[in-house]
Amino acid sequence: MSRRGQLRPPGIAVGVVFALFILWTTPASSEEGRIVVGSKNFMENKLLAEIFAQLIEARTDVSVTRRLGLAGTQVCFEALRAGAIDLYPEYTGTGLVSILQQPPTGDSRTTLTTVRSEFLRRWDLWWLTPLGFENAYALAVPRSRLPANAPRTLSDLAEFASSLTAGFGYEFIQRPDGLPGLTTRYGLTFQRVQAMQQSLKYQAAAAGEIDVLDVYTTDGRLFVYDFVVLEDDQRFFPPYEAAGLIRGTTLKRYPEVGSALSLLGNAFDARIMRQLNYRLQEGGESVDVVARDALAALNLSAGEHAPSLPAVKDDDLVAYLWSHGSTLTEQTIEHLFLAGLALGLGILLAVPLGLLLERRQTVAEPVIRCIGLTQTIPSIALLAFMIPVFGIGVPPAVIALWMYSLFPIVRNTYSGLRDAAPDAVESARALGMTEWQILSWVRLPLAAPIIMAGIRTAGVITVGTTTLAALIGAGGLGVPIVSGLQMANTTMILSGALPAAALALVIDGTLGMVERWLRPRGVRARPDWT
Amino acid sequence: MHGPIMMNPPALSVHDVTMEFEAHVRVLQHVNLDVPHGQTLVLIGESGSGKTTLLRMLNGLNHPTSGEIHLHGESIRSQDPIELRRRVGYVQQDGGLLPHWTVEENVSLVPVLLGWDLENRTSRVRELLEMVNLDPTRYRTRYPIELSGGQRQRVAFARALAADPSIVLLDEPFGALDSITRHNLQRQFLRLKRHLQKTLVIVTHDVDEAIRLGDRIAVLKEGRLLQIGSPAELLNAPAHDDVAQFLHHRSHGDHP
Repeated sequence: MSRRGQLRPPGIAVGVVFALFILWTTPASSEEGRIVVGSKNFMENKLLAEIFAQLIEARTDVSVTRRLGLAGTQVCFEALRAGAIDLYPEYTGTGLVSILQQPPTGDSRTTLTTVRSEFLRRWDLWWLTPLGFENAYALAVPRSRLPANAPRTLSDLAEFASSLTAGFGYEFIQRPDGLPGLTTRYGLTFQRVQAMQQSLKYQAAAAGEIDVLDVYTTDGRLFVYDFVVLEDDQRFFPPYEAAGLIRGTTLKRYPEVGSALSLLGNAFDARIMRQLNYRLQEGGESVDVVARDALAALNLSAGEHAPSLPAVKDDDLVAYLWSHGSTLTEQTIEHLFLAGLALGLGILLAVPLGLLLERRQTVAEPVIRCIGLTQTIPSIALLAFMIPVFGIGVPPAVIALWMYSLFPIVRNTYSGLRDAAPDAVESARALGMTEWQILSWVRLPLAAPIIMAGIRTAGVITVGTTTLAALIGAGGLGVPIVSGLQMANTTMILSGALPAAALALVIDGTLGMVERWLRPRGVRARPDWT
Repeated sequence: MHGPIMMNPPALSVHDVTMEFEAHVRVLQHVNLDVPHGQTLVLIGESGSGKTTLLRMLNGLNHPTSGEIHLHGESIRSQDPIELRRRVGYVQQDGGLLPHWTVEENVSLVPVLLGWDLENRTSRVRELLEMVNLDPTRYRTRYPIELSGGQRQRVAFARALAADPSIVLLDEPFGALDSITRHNLQRQFLRLKRHLQKTLVIVTHDVDEAIRLGDRIAVLKEGRLLQIGSPAELLNAPAHDDVAQFLHHRSHGDHP
């Protein structure tokens, strides 16, 4: 009747997990001869970043790691400042208003001068020569919604805005150079403001669900939809010149990168960008291919086309899954790795913590409640807090997921041990078992299924939440979901969401089997025989 | 005064034991009693009388605030509580069997703790199950959930006796059983008790049970020992109004 085996610490597993973790937390940018190019999570920004990357690869010996699709300005900027990335495409107006928190000015020259000197002084970050186009905010109205004597300017719009429904992006609603400032400047008050995903607004406007939307002036969809872009007659929107934003240390270390990128100065205009964006947004072409073509058109060719994916009709999910099989498999493995690592680390902390709390009942409830609070932090916010400390990529994603996994495991470990057959525990003690024997022979075996149920809950939560890891460049099945959301491409969203859901079901089923297997035989539900 | 053994110390002796919780809540007050070898003492009283607290002191599960408890003349303060408990049998109300262990594993719990080898354990389990009228081949591999309440309690007796302790403590051992099973089991228990010659301390609130099983009965109320004596002494010469009332009331309450 040897039961001692049940408490053997999983020493090897612990070692492997920590080794992997340390491997992944090493920042990529510290590697010799390699720089990290980042981008925000919309198509144009990804395209510009890819153009940077390909140009650097073609013209220098520096190799490039791509971290495309990071969640917004805040994440990109913090990642740049922390050294997790070396370079990303930014817009001067965003630098002025969102990052420097200064009031928008009307002049592109002063804007550029201000951000250049301030970024250099405060953070040693350099704005390269602008690329030659602005991607400014503008308000647009579907032509069909316009009355005969149509307004052409924002001042005209203000007069009948109170009868209109607006659909604006989340960022636009928040940014001082977006809706708040616009409201003050033009006195615009809409009947209703609907917060919407950028790409869904176009469809909503075309369907007549909304009357006004915010657009980017280089948006490729302006080719497709018959919208009237209203003139900013009071010069409210600051200029948004696109330019590379790069770390000073990177420029000094790899001056050749700076000279290569300078070839892109004033190389584009708004019309070219709109066309390139159109190919991405509506043509469904890959960023890689479009970037290559753009460089070729500038005679800065990056060389051979990468084998591009066969053209697949977007609405055929099966064909899409088939043609993207290897990418999706890779993303599934990344996804499992992230979720598994976070869950593994969660178990390593939460189970011993639960054991400890069971011995210290007075502090148990407050501690568990505090851990429960982590569950209420919105995941995006938690990811954003991580960046200044852990940079971007796998480490902050795993740490955030790990924090989310703790609560169900700690709670179930604690209550499972506390409530495990009190009579049996009492008699075990009365017959001379030591506390350690009571724990390992009685409480843990009886609590095991309950602890496992906590791990199972944490596992399913983690697999689901891991889709957000894509927002800070950690990969996984969130990548096609986030990209698909931006492109309003349902097939692409499903290509990530379906495997993620299947994964959650498989994890749930597998851990459920472990849970049943762990249930001691005598505790299995069974009719009383006599 | 009753026991035939005068030379040896009593199996169990409780000397001036008081137990308080914080803020002077007295659970037990100046309790004195002896249990001679081979005798059965029943602790009886209403809930809150301190009878279970006193029982749990005898194997070191509770500790007196002041006073001394001796087992075979040796103070339990000087003993390792784990060693002590392995030498004292214990049966609780619902058996307290480990639900994830078979009957055999449950019965061999203390022998395992004491490091007996498998052969000795197996033969001991067989012997004990036969003693409590459970067919070893049939019941050895069953789990507690596959037994009736009476069968579970028999296994608990067998488990308490496994390492042949000289003292066995029983906390309401028949309390959770229906009355037919209870009477049945009490009869077998009496037979076993005469045969085994163990020193037993039983906690109950059932007067009939106390009278049937006890060589002597100790009546407790609010932490005080009101009277200790044989069933006949208590019934014929109650030293206290409360004792008379308690015995009378309970006795008639159970058998209208």
